This record gives sequence, C-alpha cells and structure tokens, in this order.
Amino acid sequence: MMVNAELYVKDLPGQLVGSLEPISMVDGNIVGVVHDREQIINQRIRVSVTFEVASTPQLEKLKAIWKSKDIVISKMGSVYETVTMEYLILGHFSAGYVDNLIDEASNVVNFESVDVSYSSRNGNDTRRTALITAEVRSQTDQDKLDRFFSSACREGSLVYIRGL
Amino acid sequence: MKIVIAGFGTVGQGFAEVLLKRRELLVDRYGHVPAVVAVIDSRTVVRDRQGLDLSAVLACKKETGCVGTEKYTDPIKVLDSLDYNLLVEVTPTDLKTGGAGLVNITHALESGKDVITVNKGPLALQFSRLIGLAKEHGCKFRFEGSVGGAMPIINLCHENLVGERITSVRGIFNGTCNYILSKMDNGQPFDQALKEAQQMGYAETDPTNDIEGWDTAAKVVILANSVFHRNVTIRDVNITGISTITPDAIALAASHNMVIRLIGEVSDTKLEVSPRLVPRGHPLSIGGTLNVAQIDADFAGPITITGRGAGRIETASAILSDLIAIMNIRDKGEGKHA
Repeated sequence: MMVNAELYVKDLPGQLVGSLEPISMVDGNIVGVVHDREQIINQRIRVSVTFEVASTPQLEKLKAIWKSKDIVISKMGSVYETVTMEYLILGHFSAGYVDNLIDEASNVVNFESVDVSYSSRNGNDTRRTALITAEVRSQTDQDKLDRFFSSACREGSLVYIRGL
Repeated sequence: MKIVIAGFGTVGQGFAEVLLKRRELLVDRYGHVPAVVAVIDSRTVVRDRQGLDLSAVLACKKETGCVGTEKYTDPIKVLDSLDYNLLVEVTPTDLKTGGAGLVNITHALESGKDVITVNKGPLALQFSRLIGLAKEHGCKFRFEGSVGGAMPIINLCHENLVGERITSVRGIFNGTCNYILSKMDNGQPFDQALKEAQQMGYAETDPTNDIEGWDTAAKVVILANSVFHRNVTIRDVNITGISTITPDAIALAASHNMVIRLIGEVSDTKLEVSPRLVPRGHPLSIGGTLNVAQIDADFAGPITITGRGAGRIETASAILSDLIAIMNIRDKGEGKHA
C-alpha cells in the first residue's frame, strides 16, 4: 500500500534522517520526501513523506516506532498509483453487452474508473465499436483485465484491440 | 573467402550491387574482395572458381531472367559441386515448410559452411536446430536482415547491448501493414489502402502473410529465439492481423488521440502479434512503411530504433554488415575457415 504521511520532527540535526529510518526498518520503500522548514510549529518542522509498505501491520509498527521517537504524526492517508488501459472492441454487440462485460470485469478487478465511448453507427453496417478506458490500481489488475477482455471477446467473436 | 549466393531476386541482386559498390572498403579492410564463386537462381546456376563478374551476372539476369544457361534440378548437388566458405541464402520465404531456404541452409551448415540469410521461413520454423547445427559444425550463422531489414536490431541486442538484460522488444516489423494503417488514419478504407499498397509495390498480390500478421510473427519468433534464447516457432505466436480493422475503429481511436498499429511483442513470457492502440507521438505511432522497435533493457532503459524494413539495397546492407562481421572473425584467424 502507498501511504502519505505528514510528520512534525524536532528542529535538531539528525531528526529528519531519524524520521525516515523507521520506514526502512519495516521494509518500506520511500517514494518522495518534502522537508518544509517554513512550517515550524512548537520548534518542530514539517516533513511530508510518501512511502510504500506491504501491509497494515507494518504500517502500525511504523507508527509505533515514530511515537516512541517523539515524532508527531499530524496526517496520514492512503494514496494509490493507478494504471490506465484502453480497450477497443469491434463487432456485433449492443451497449447492454458492454455494460454487462464491465459488470463482470468488476468482479475480477477493482476499477478506479471506467469510461466507454461508442462510434456512431455507419449506414447499414450493424457492426459497432466501443472504446473502454479503464483505470485500475496495479499492473497485476491490468494483466487480469487484459486476460478477461481477451477471453470475453474471443467467446463473443469480437475483435479486441488493447493499448500498449 | 568464397561466397555462393542462393536466390537472385530482389535481395540477391541488391547484395551483388552492394558488393560492387563496397569493393574499395573491403579491399582497404581485408586486402581483397570476397569472390562470389556461384550464383543460383530458381532455374539456373552460373559459376566461376576465380570469382564471377557480378556486373555481368546482374546484366544477364536483367536481360534473360536467368543468371546463366546451366540448368539444374537439385540445388544440393550444385552446392556439393562448389568450393565455397559462405552461403548467402536469399531465396523466397516459405513460412509453411521453410522451402528451398531451409534445405540450402541445413546442407551448408552440415557441410561446415558459414551462412548469412534474410530468409524468415527457416528461422521461424527451425531456429534452434539451425543454431545447433552451426555450433556443432563450427560455422558462423547470421541473419540480421531477417528482422527489420536495414534496422540493426539483432546485432544491436547481441553486440552493443551485450551486458544488458533485455526485458522486452516490441515494434512495428511490417511496413506493408503500417502503410495500410497510416492510410486508414487519413480516412481510406482498408480495401482501398491495401490496393494502393499493392500498386506501390509494398504489398504482394497475395497479401495474406502481411495483413494476417504472419510476417510479423516470423520476426517475433526470430527475436524470441535469438535475443531471449527461447525455443519457439511461429506456431507458438498469438497472432491477430489487421484485416478486421474498420474505419470506425480508426476514427474512435483518433478521437482519443490514438492510432492503431500492428505491434509485435516479445519478452520472456510474451509472444504476440496484434493491432494495438498507440498514443499519437509515441515512438511506435510512426507512419508510412518504416519499421520501428523499442527495446527495454535493465540498465539502458528504453531504446528506440527505426529504419527501412524492406527494399533491395536496405536489406542487402544488413547482409553486408553480417559479411563484414564474419570476415572480421575469419580474418583474425578465429575458426576453421581462416
């Protein structure tokens, strides 16, 4: 899980490093740090850090370490990286078919967002085209979604084109 | 060095022209020009132990449609009758059986001859066996021009990126499909764009191998086996062609600032040819007949190369680079042909 935390540490040499070391102690991975010396409250400076930890127990352990080191946690929230992929589906199908397909897909992955666009029908041509833009939380989910759409389109005799 | 050229169509003739144009370079580097001791086309053979006059062979082919007057029925008997070190195998590609190319390459390697080829059929069907034969008989076996024509992808991966772990290669490896899809970007329907490609000489009368993705699949197999050291054939590739792409699909992609391109992708786990949505401005959104490849390497990151994927002189330039690589090795006294 990706976490964003706002900490206040004592304005003394070594305190910044001291606030970041515990993240490594719980096998976390630091993604970014902002050391804001203009935000001094009660002789403490603000440190905003984004990091990745594997699980909630590790996060709880980290919070305990920070408290034991007299580091104040003023805010903590989860943030996620997302992965976006486009899928173009061509063939004979209805809008209801695509809605059902997305409903079924949501049982396979957690969507952050899904957007569907359709081409306008072309004369007597009963084929239509849909472009699905799906935002998911991980590469693993994207791979699952690729496999889901590929399999569903094969079963429905539809042409399936995905993004890079 | 004594060379036999098997196949004297577009690429074979291009190689002869390139050899003539690079005489001085070869003399400067090696003190001699390799002698082409025989040229074999589909019906006839012309030979000279001292080396053929390639200008005369080219002229003969142009005037009569044949390289000489000596007819043959069995190319293996012809090869066995020749004293040579290197076979340049450029007969037409046959992706179903490997055709004459597979027979010629196999025989040359079994006879201990070095081989350069751009023939995708034998490589797509029996890569591992041919590499095994080359190792077993101490031969050099090179095939740079088989993927991407003049675009130096195989040697780039093997030589310049030798210390890298290459994680994936994906690209546009068929200029005909890219021409058709680029024309569709401008509003032409598929059938019209295909006919135009045929009139321009980019697509063959039977375009199946190109538009159904078989040609790209053969190249993907060559990359999988040579760069990723996999053991796969064209039958292992997940292939989707471009014949089902509609103007509607192109337009819908364009409305989202994307184009559709036929992409070949290979990695340790992927082996796929399929149309893909590519954002405009991405290196793989290139238009026209060009080929492009994006190589992902662990230290170097993404590397993109582009070039002409076909053409007589362009493909011949890849054969020349393979020839020089082999001459460098043999000239240094490495290997049995030195």
